[in-house]
Amino acid sequence: MARDYDHLFKLLIIGDSGVGKSSLLLRFADNTFSGSYITTIGVDFKIRTVSIDGQRIKLQIWDTAGQERFRTITSTYYRGTHGVIVVYDVTNGDSFANVKRWLHEIEQNCDVVNRILVGNKNDCPDRKVVLTEDAKRFADTMGIQLFETSAKDNINVEEMFISVTRLVLRAKLEMKERQNVTQNDVVNLRKSNKQGKKKCC
Amino acid sequence: MARVRPHRSDIAIAGAFARDVAQLTHNIVCTGRTTDLKCKNGCGFYGNAEWDGYCSKCYRDNQQKERERSTSSQIRPEHSKPRIPGFTKFEEKKRQQTDKKNKYFKNLAPVFRKSSGKDSHRGDRHHDFHHANPEIQKLTAEFISKYGIYGEYVPKDFTKCVTATCTKVLTLIDNKPVEEIAELIQKYYNVFLNRLNTHGMYEEINSEVKDQMLDMFEKFVMIELYSALFCPTFTHDEEEDLRIQERIRKLSWVTAHHLGCCISETSVEVRDLVYTAITDLLGIDSVKAPQDKLSCVVRCCRSVMEVLQHCQGGPVSADEFLPALIFIVLKGNPTRLKSNIHYVTRFCNDTRLMQGEGGYYFTNLCCAVSFIENLTAESLSMSEDEFTAYMTGVITPVSAWESALVACESMHQLCEHLALLKGLSERTDGVQKGTVELKNDIEKFQEEITSSVSTVLKRTPLVIKPRKTPITIDRQDSNTDALPSPIAPIIVTKLVDEDEVTDPNVQKESPALKFYQQNLQLQPLDIGTNKKNMLQLDITPCLEPSKSTENLQAGEFLLDNQSVDGLTPDDGHNIFIGLSNVNYDIDFSDLSADNSMADEITPDKHKSLSFTPDPFSPVGSSCNIAQTPLMPSAVPISSNNAAQNDDFMLSLTESEQNKSILDKDEDTALVHLPPPLIPTASNYSGFSKQGWQIPSIPCNTGDFSSLDTSQPHSSSTDNLDLDTSDTVPK
Repeated sequence: MARDYDHLFKLLIIGDSGVGKSSLLLRFADNTFSGSYITTIGVDFKIRTVSIDGQRIKLQIWDTAGQERFRTITSTYYRGTHGVIVVYDVTNGDSFANVKRWLHEIEQNCDVVNRILVGNKNDCPDRKVVLTEDAKRFADTMGIQLFETSAKDNINVEEMFISVTRLVLRAKLEMKERQNVTQNDVVNLRKSNKQGKKKCC
Repeated sequence: MARVRPHRSDIAIAGAFARDVAQLTHNIVCTGRTTDLKCKNGCGFYGNAEWDGYCSKCYRDNQQKERERSTSSQIRPEHSKPRIPGFTKFEEKKRQQTDKKNKYFKNLAPVFRKSSGKDSHRGDRHHDFHHANPEIQKLTAEFISKYGIYGEYVPKDFTKCVTATCTKVLTLIDNKPVEEIAELIQKYYNVFLNRLNTHGMYEEINSEVKDQMLDMFEKFVMIELYSALFCPTFTHDEEEDLRIQERIRKLSWVTAHHLGCCISETSVEVRDLVYTAITDLLGIDSVKAPQDKLSCVVRCCRSVMEVLQHCQGGPVSADEFLPALIFIVLKGNPTRLKSNIHYVTRFCNDTRLMQGEGGYYFTNLCCAVSFIENLTAESLSMSEDEFTAYMTGVITPVSAWESALVACESMHQLCEHLALLKGLSERTDGVQKGTVELKNDIEKFQEEITSSVSTVLKRTPLVIKPRKTPITIDRQDSNTDALPSPIAPIIVTKLVDEDEVTDPNVQKESPALKFYQQNLQLQPLDIGTNKKNMLQLDITPCLEPSKSTENLQAGEFLLDNQSVDGLTPDDGHNIFIGLSNVNYDIDFSDLSADNSMADEITPDKHKSLSFTPDPFSPVGSSCNIAQTPLMPSAVPISSNNAAQNDDFMLSLTESEQNKSILDKDEDTALVHLPPPLIPTASNYSGFSKQGWQIPSIPCNTGDFSSLDTSQPHSSSTDNLDLDTSDTVPK
């Protein structure tokens, strides 16, 4: 294949309004870093190609509107999403409280999806209200990875995106393997099953 | 590779594709069985694949409903155009009525209805097929021009796949729900993609081109099936369209402020961008292929992005983007919005719809639409009462947008008109400038003409006046009577003539009178100067034709000029030589000037002859001469005019003058005429004096003082010189 990437993943950034979703995306996509990226007009939709384990992975990152009133309609965004980045603001307790709601929404809209929890704006210790321990505990109970980042100071942003990409990549490879195994047993039914699954995501 | 085995012929290709298709349909059946064995309606009975997964009863009911929809939709289009508010209610009533009717029908003759319904569907489709043909033909041409390089089998196979897909879909279209058809089409996309990747025919083609071909496949299929699958009669799409349209119209009072987005409605640039965004959004309905519709959405959203970037001057996040898009949808109120969205979601290639920019923006659009559908007071962050008041029209909002829209429209028109006026004024300016230029040019031209005329006039009067002065000169001349000298010219003229013809005559005549000699001298001088300083001296030309009397004056000038030239510095002898040469020249010039006018020239000579007689006449009677000098006085004016011009002109004018003179004299034009002139002379006495005086004066002034004294001698020598000189010029 003469494509410029081996995998294409769609990532979704969700979270309350004003937690810094867009700035995270902006930081990740516009920071001069190894790997090329294509800047589209807004910050809302970005493409960046990263390289993990020698595989080129093209990331399409969709930004979403975080306002409460759009909460009900965000389900459409989940279609075909490989990974979701749930963002809260470490200086805003409410945004952290809402994380649970967001996670619940993800579960409702996607069967299997790789999630990651991100506490953004982690650059001013004085204003920090969401303690790392609390967040960590919560993340562990939910079984998801936690990152504390700062889009402003460019802390952990790259790592966070890379790790979510790794998650997605690993999940994909595992699924492929599983498919190969299952495909040997039953041909038609499984195949259609898989396709159905792909669709609903 | 395709060329290596070209005999893997169409049949094989078609067969392979048919097999794929068979497998595919089988898959569909399988999925139907595995996923829901029971009736889709959930009535508890088992469904059947043949009946679209319904049980027999539900299937029949379903079919019934579809038929109703199709019949009602036939009436609908006429009504849907005017978009009457409250139309949905009417629609509902209508449906109920048709329902009743259909129930009645159903009981009567279900079989008949079924077949007839199918037939009508078919007919429609065929008609549409033909209708879409030109577009398809255009696309086919494009395809062949693009991918013809991969061998003729590629386009052939491609069209085969397209037609196979279309016919298959069309056969199923009546029996299957739209979701299943959508799934089928998606599967066809996959089949074609697999075919592209696995078939030997496409081996040489790289993946990029394959993607393009898949795109083309989608375009072909969907344009072919557009009329059948866009807003299909067996779905609720149209009603949804009407509902959302009505909803948006009711929400016309919603402003950007309500949505919490920062569109500054008063900025001109922003307004223009909003307009372009709306136009792009409206464009969705005008294109057929799903990807084209998607690209319309993308363009719209990009404009929205620009609007936001313009309004807040920084990067835009989805938090601002979505409200702005909602605002655009609300203000745009696109036609058949839901139908378009459904069409794209159903039939656009899933892989594209789920990712990429188009996918993202389309998702946003879907979100916006569903937001509008579910819009509540809470989502606009206002109280329930206020919301209902707005919705029921109790409060008519002073919408900045509405007023701005009206104002904008007029402003827009104003701007356009201003631009038009500007263009017009520019053009009129140009015209005015042109006219001014033209006017200036004309004035300039006029000035030039007048100036040139005036200069000409100036020159002529200047000359004229001096010419007239000759009369005064006459007075001066009158001091001394030199009647004898005029007499001499008679001989001279003869001599001149003879000179021209033969030299010996001159020699014979050389003993002529001093006057004659003087005349001779004068003439040569004038002519010489003429030739040398034609332009410088206006007078000189006059002098040529003119008689001795005038020549005298002219001679002064001439001599001066000559002196300047350097002739004067030399001895009188030199001058004489020059004069002698000139003298000859004169004759020659006269001749040369009017070769054709020889007659006239000869008259000149005659005149000179006539003049010469005057001198003679003085001997007899002075009257004659006095008149002849007058004639010359008139001559100079015209001659001067001529002098300003060319030699040629000069000669002409001279000739004219001469002519006039000649005419008068012509009666006596002959050489032998001089005698008649003599008797006529009456006032001769005065003039003869002048004539006498003139030659002497010019000679004195024009020539150097020495000339005067030397003249007599020189004149004698002149003749001799002339003879010699004659040969030289010739």
